[in-house]
Amino acid sequence: MNTMNVSRRRFLQSSAVAGGGLVVGFSLSGCSNTSAPLPVAHTEGAWTPNAFVQILPDNTVRFYTARSEMGQGVTTGLATLVGEELDVNPLDMEIRLAGAHEDYINPDFGMQGTGGSSSIHAHYLPLRQVGANTRALILDAAAKDLGVAASSLSTDSGYVVSGAQRYPYADFIDTASGLELASDAALKPASEFQYIGKESLRVDSIAKSTGTAEFGLDVDIPDLHYAVVVRAPVPGARKVSANTAAASVMPGVVSVLDISSGVAVVAESFWQAKQAAAKVEVEWEQTDLSRVDTETLRADYRNALASGEGVEEPNEGDVDTALASAATVLEAEYWTPLLAHSPMEPMNATIRIQGDRAEMWTGIQFPFAVPAIVSRVADIPIENVQFHQTYLGGGFGRRGTINHITEAAEVAVQSGKAVQLVWTREDDIQQGPFRPASLMRIKAGVDASGKLLAWDARRAGGNISPDSYRTLLPAAFPWMGDSVAEGVAQMSEWYFENFATDESSTEGLFEDYDHPNTRVTHTTVDHGLPLTFWRSVGHSYTAFAKESMIDELAQAAGVDEVAFRIQNTESNPRRQNVLRVAAEHMAKMNPPEGHYLGFAAHHSFRTDVAEIAQVSVDNGAIRVHKVTCVVDCGQVVNPDIVRAQLEGGVIYGLTAALYGDLNLDRGAIRESNFHDYPILRMDQAPEIEVVIIDSGTEPTGIGEPGLPPIAPAVANAVYKATGQRLRSLPLKLA
Amino acid sequence: MIEFTLNGHTVQTEIDPNTPLLWVVRDHFKLKGSKFGCGAGLCGACTMHVDGAAMKTCVMPISAVAGRSITTIEGLGTPDDLHPLQAAWHQHAVPQCGYCQSGQIMAAAALLEANPNPSSDDIDAAMSGNICRCGCYPRIKRAIQSVSESALAYDAMAKTGERA
Repeated sequence: MNTMNVSRRRFLQSSAVAGGGLVVGFSLSGCSNTSAPLPVAHTEGAWTPNAFVQILPDNTVRFYTARSEMGQGVTTGLATLVGEELDVNPLDMEIRLAGAHEDYINPDFGMQGTGGSSSIHAHYLPLRQVGANTRALILDAAAKDLGVAASSLSTDSGYVVSGAQRYPYADFIDTASGLELASDAALKPASEFQYIGKESLRVDSIAKSTGTAEFGLDVDIPDLHYAVVVRAPVPGARKVSANTAAASVMPGVVSVLDISSGVAVVAESFWQAKQAAAKVEVEWEQTDLSRVDTETLRADYRNALASGEGVEEPNEGDVDTALASAATVLEAEYWTPLLAHSPMEPMNATIRIQGDRAEMWTGIQFPFAVPAIVSRVADIPIENVQFHQTYLGGGFGRRGTINHITEAAEVAVQSGKAVQLVWTREDDIQQGPFRPASLMRIKAGVDASGKLLAWDARRAGGNISPDSYRTLLPAAFPWMGDSVAEGVAQMSEWYFENFATDESSTEGLFEDYDHPNTRVTHTTVDHGLPLTFWRSVGHSYTAFAKESMIDELAQAAGVDEVAFRIQNTESNPRRQNVLRVAAEHMAKMNPPEGHYLGFAAHHSFRTDVAEIAQVSVDNGAIRVHKVTCVVDCGQVVNPDIVRAQLEGGVIYGLTAALYGDLNLDRGAIRESNFHDYPILRMDQAPEIEVVIIDSGTEPTGIGEPGLPPIAPAVANAVYKATGQRLRSLPLKLA
Repeated sequence: MIEFTLNGHTVQTEIDPNTPLLWVVRDHFKLKGSKFGCGAGLCGACTMHVDGAAMKTCVMPISAVAGRSITTIEGLGTPDDLHPLQAAWHQHAVPQCGYCQSGQIMAAAALLEANPNPSSDDIDAAMSGNICRCGCYPRIKRAIQSVSESALAYDAMAKTGERA
C-alpha cells in the first residue's frame, strides 16, 4: 500500500468503494502501478462510483457482473448483493458483463476468475459493501442538495425519500461525483433483507428465452471471417507434413495456415471453413500417447496401485495396525473414465487486430488470460488488448481453459483478418482437455459397533494442476517467458509425482468421516493427455469411490446406511445435521414396488449435500425416477437458483453416472459427437426435490456440490435392486 | 436463387444450396438466436419451425426450404412482446446458461401447436431431441405444462372465480 501513487480522481472514481482497504484482497485498485481505465460503458452524464455500478441520468442502474455467467446464476446472485444494500431491485437493473480489470479480481482467487463454486462466498460481504457505500454517498449528496440532514432521508427502490417526496437517485449524481465515498457504511442486518434469501426470478432469463442473450458465437463484427482448425487425433501430436492444396481452392477459403496446434482454415463462413477443413491432409508425429488404449490406461493405473508406491498425504495414526484389529475389513477398487465437458456452446473466440491494438470477444471463466495471451501472441502491449465478455454457453471448467484464445490470436496475426475461431463438436469431444480417468482402491475397517477405525485410500491417474500451470502461467505473469512457464509446469509434474499430492487428485476421497487412522496414497500416472477441471473436479470421482465403500461397510456391519454415516460424523455437526434431515426424508418415502432408494452424501466447496435416488432396474436398464437433495450451503441468496444448481448438478452427474465414457484408441478419442457420447435427455431425467437447510452461516458453494453424490446414490440403489455392486462408471449391469 | 419466408418476410439468397439453413439464418440473415451445438442433428440447439414443424436446421440444406415458411426464436416473440412460452420460461426460471433454450422453446411451441394438452409422456417424446447440458429439463417440463390449454383454462377460471 505504501507504493500507492494514483490521482485523487481515480481513487474517487474507481477504488474507494471497492477497495481502499475495505476488504483486504478484494480490489487492488488504487494501489496498482497501472491506472487502466475501467472497462465500462461511456454514457453521457453517467456516474460511475466504482467498477460495479453506474447510475444514468434517467435513473437506470447498471450492474457490471465481475464473475462469468455460465448458467450458475451468479449475475442474479451478485446483483442481489449490491441491490440489497443499494436499495434497488436486481430485476430492475441493466445488466452488463464486465471486461478485464484488476477491480474485478475474485478475492478467493487473487485473479479475475470464476470457478470453484466460490463467487457468492467470495463476494457476499464485499459487494454488499459496494452497495452500502454507494447508497451512503447518494444520501450524503441528497442531504447537501436538499439542505436536510442525511439522517432524515431514506431510500426506496432507487429513490431517495424525504418526507412525502421521492427523488430518483439520478437527481444527486452530479453532487455525489464530487464527494468522497465512505468505505465502511453500515450493512443491513439479515432481518431487514428485502432480496437476499427471498424467492425471486433471474435477471438473465428473458434475454435467454428470446434469443437475445449474446454468446461468444453470436458476436458479429464487420468483415468477420471464420476459422476451423484441423488438430492431431492424438492430442498434442505435432505435424510432420500437411497437404492443403485441396482445401485452399474450396469455396470461400481465404487462407490455410500453419498454427501451433495444427492447420487452420480461414473462410468467409463457418460452414465453408468446416467443409474445407475436411480436405486438409496431415501426417502427424507418433507420440508416447499414440500407443495408449483405454485398456493400457487402466492396466497402468492398476500396476501403479499394486506397486504400493506413491505420495502418502495424509498419513495419520497407524492404519495397518488398526486394520488388523478391525471387526470388519473391506477392500474394493473403483474406476472412473475420461470425460469431456461438452458445454452446449462449442468453444470459440472472435478477434480483431488493428495495428498495435486488439479486441477479443469470448465467454471465459478467466478473463485476465485474454489480454495477456493475445498480447503475447500478437506482440502488442497488453494494455492495448480489449476483452469483451459474453455469456458463456456452459462452462463446467472447460471455459477455464484458453487453447482457443491462443489459436484465434495466431490465426488473426497470420491471416490479417478479423476472425471467429470455432471448435466443432467433434473437436470438443476429442481434443480435451479432459476430466482425468482414475482408478481408486479403498481398504477400510470398522469395529463391532460400526465405528470406522481405518481408511486406507489410493488413487492412480493424471493430475490437472501441471496443465493449468502450463496454460495459465503465461497469462498470469505476462513477463514470464514461454520456456520458463513450461519449465515451471514440468517442475510441477515432477513435484506431484514425487513429493506432494496435487490436491484436486484426491480431494473428497477421505475427509468426510471420522476415522482415527487415515492414509491416502497417490500415484501419478501421466500418459500425456491434456487434463483440466471438470464440474466438481476431484470430487466428481472420489465421491463415487468413498460413498460406495461407505455403503458397502454399512451393509457389512449390518447397520442402516444413513445411521452408519451419522454415527461416523460426530466431529462435524453441520454434516451430521444434513444426514439427519435426509434420513427423516428417506424414512417417509414410500417407493412403489420395484423401486429402490440409494443414499450418498458428500462435502465439497464448503457445502454439504445428501442425495436419495429412487431407482428401478428393468431388463438391465437403470432408470432414476426421483432424486431428493438435502443441502446446507449457509446463507442462501436466491433459493430458486440454489434449487436450479442442485437440479443441474444432479443431471450433469447422471450423464456421467449412466453414459459418460471416453475411450482411447491408440491415443485418439474414439467418440466424436452426441450419438456415441450421449447426454441425458428429458425422457430419462428424474423428478428432483431440493430441501434447503437454512443454517444462516456464511454462504458456501452451490454450482458444483450437487454433482458428487449422485453417481454413488444411484449405484447404491442399483445394489439394492439387483445385489450387484457396480464399481465402474458409467454404471452398467452385468 | 432460393426464396423462402423467414419470420413472415419473403427473403432470397444466392448462397451455396448445400449450406444448412442454420448458417444461412445466422450468418447471412444475421439472426443469431438459433444456435450451433453439434452440426449433426443430435442436440436440437438449432431447432426452427419449417412450415410449423420443429426441425433441426444444422443438417437441413437451404435448398430444401425453397418456398417454405421458416420461423425462428426471433419470430416467436421479443423481450417486449413475449410468447406465452417465453413468459413461462422466465416465470419458472428455466434457463441456466441459456444456450439451448431457443431450440427448446421452438420445440415446445411446435408441440403445443399440435397438441395443446400434452401429457408428461407427450412432452418427453417431443422434447427429447433437445439436449440441455445444464439440466433444465424439470423446469422446461413445468413451463410447458403451465401454458398447456388446461392450465391456462384453469388459470382463467381461477381469475374469474369460476373454479369448481
